[in-house]
Amino acid sequence: MISRWKQIWPPLVAVLLFLALWQVSVTWFHVEKWMLPAPSDIWREGIASASSLKGHTLATLRLTLIGFPLGVAVGIAAAVLLHIVPWSARALYPLLILSQNVPIIALGPLLVIWFGFGQLPKIILIMLVCFFPVAVAGLGGLAQTDRMMLQFMKMAGASRRQIFSKLELPHALPSLFSGIKISAAYAVTGAVVAELIGGNQGLGYYMQIQKSAFRTDRMFAAIILSVLLSLLLFAAVVLLEKWLVRWKPRRDAQ
Amino acid sequence: MTNKTVPPSSGEPVKEETPDAASPDSGTEAPALEVSGISKSFSQRGRSIPVLEQVSLTVKPDEFVSIIGPSGCGKSTLFHIIGGLVKPDAGAVRMNGAPVTGQRGSVSYMPQQPALFPWRSIEDNVILARELKGAARSEAREEARRWLAKVGLGGFEKAYPHMLSGGMQQRAAFLRALLAPQELMLLDEPFSALDALTRSEMQRWLLELWEENRRSVLFITHSIEEALLLSSRIYVFSGRPGTILHTVDVPFPRPRREGMTEYPEFLRLKRQLSGWMREEQAKSGPLR
Repeated sequence: MISRWKQIWPPLVAVLLFLALWQVSVTWFHVEKWMLPAPSDIWREGIASASSLKGHTLATLRLTLIGFPLGVAVGIAAAVLLHIVPWSARALYPLLILSQNVPIIALGPLLVIWFGFGQLPKIILIMLVCFFPVAVAGLGGLAQTDRMMLQFMKMAGASRRQIFSKLELPHALPSLFSGIKISAAYAVTGAVVAELIGGNQGLGYYMQIQKSAFRTDRMFAAIILSVLLSLLLFAAVVLLEKWLVRWKPRRDAQ
Repeated sequence: MTNKTVPPSSGEPVKEETPDAASPDSGTEAPALEVSGISKSFSQRGRSIPVLEQVSLTVKPDEFVSIIGPSGCGKSTLFHIIGGLVKPDAGAVRMNGAPVTGQRGSVSYMPQQPALFPWRSIEDNVILARELKGAARSEAREEARRWLAKVGLGGFEKAYPHMLSGGMQQRAAFLRALLAPQELMLLDEPFSALDALTRSEMQRWLLELWEENRRSVLFITHSIEEALLLSSRIYVFSGRPGTILHTVDVPFPRPRREGMTEYPEFLRLKRQLSGWMREEQAKSGPLR
């Protein structure tokens, strides 16, 4: 318990100091509220518009919870396909990288033209953001299967399918999860960007509206909420990993 | 079956390689493993490098046979050929009389490192080879538990491999090979990664276990003493390309005793084998 407290207090104190400094300097230097609101202003405004913020937050959460798992699923599927069919890796890997070089902001309007103003283009956008880290990490993990274990499986006469399901996939799980964690960190940002391109709900949409009204305090409230969502998603993935990869020796025990 | 080798007279206990594998076995049982005339070379940067040349050897049913030789003599390649992972350029592999050249899944294998699957509990690791052949998990687990208790791993059934010491991991890996449905076991320097104390402890453990539960075993080792202690016959390999230089029938009766390493005959064989090994090392040594 004490050791956990020791881990928590340095970042906690740092954040509190940062907030205090922010609060003091905004009052001290008489910074206009529309330029940079004080933390206390943001807090007050957050409470005041809690009901509308809640709706938009839930919309963003819903969008994330659809797009993120789909993106992860596509990423895993891509990794598996590229691993099992070697020539497909050679053919598709450049395409995979290319998909990440196209600016998301530019892609948004195009997706709207192709798929309309509904949820679909937004979901596709999140998937595009999320699948890549999973695919790359998964592919790396699958390729790095332990050679001795592989030899054992082959000697024992294991089929390709058995080698995959009983060795390669569980072996790739830790690196797959490092990809999923990166995706989880991007997912909410992806959702917020997706909401900028159209529709009438979500934190991204909310921020855009507030920006036109110079309501910086409300924008900050929305930013904080999206950060919290992101952290929540990340924590959920970490918990899932802890449960699925529970066989791994703990780092401090090694 | 017991070792049928007749203790050789004091004169020359070592016979040169006889190609008994080439002719059909005159006994009632076909050999558990019969490797005849295996040659293999790999190409490296356009050059062909011979690794094995005309290797023939036999493992009779329930016989413990060892291979020793300098490192890089192609012993592991031979295992890969027997296991069906690599196709030989020439020669054939037969098991119980049936041709199995290039066929996987007909041997049970124990690699140099335990190579236990870290995400499987010890009991699930031990049943792996059976599971691959479609055995029912619950049944296989039950037998695995009985065996784990027998080899001193009772209480570790549900533990993950990283919680076990190196020696315990090797015991589990050996059990995994022993419980495999295949009759012939290939053990590839299984104790080479262990410290000396654990190693000799594991040798005695393996000897005792094997003498109670006979299986056909082909065993690769670098240790002359280990080979003499465990096996009924030893094939001495040359340096690359690997050929069989000598075949040594180990005359000691079974069950083998603790004190046999002090027997004059044991020491004499050990000296003889060390001499051959030194010669081979010297031939290939200065080159690299």
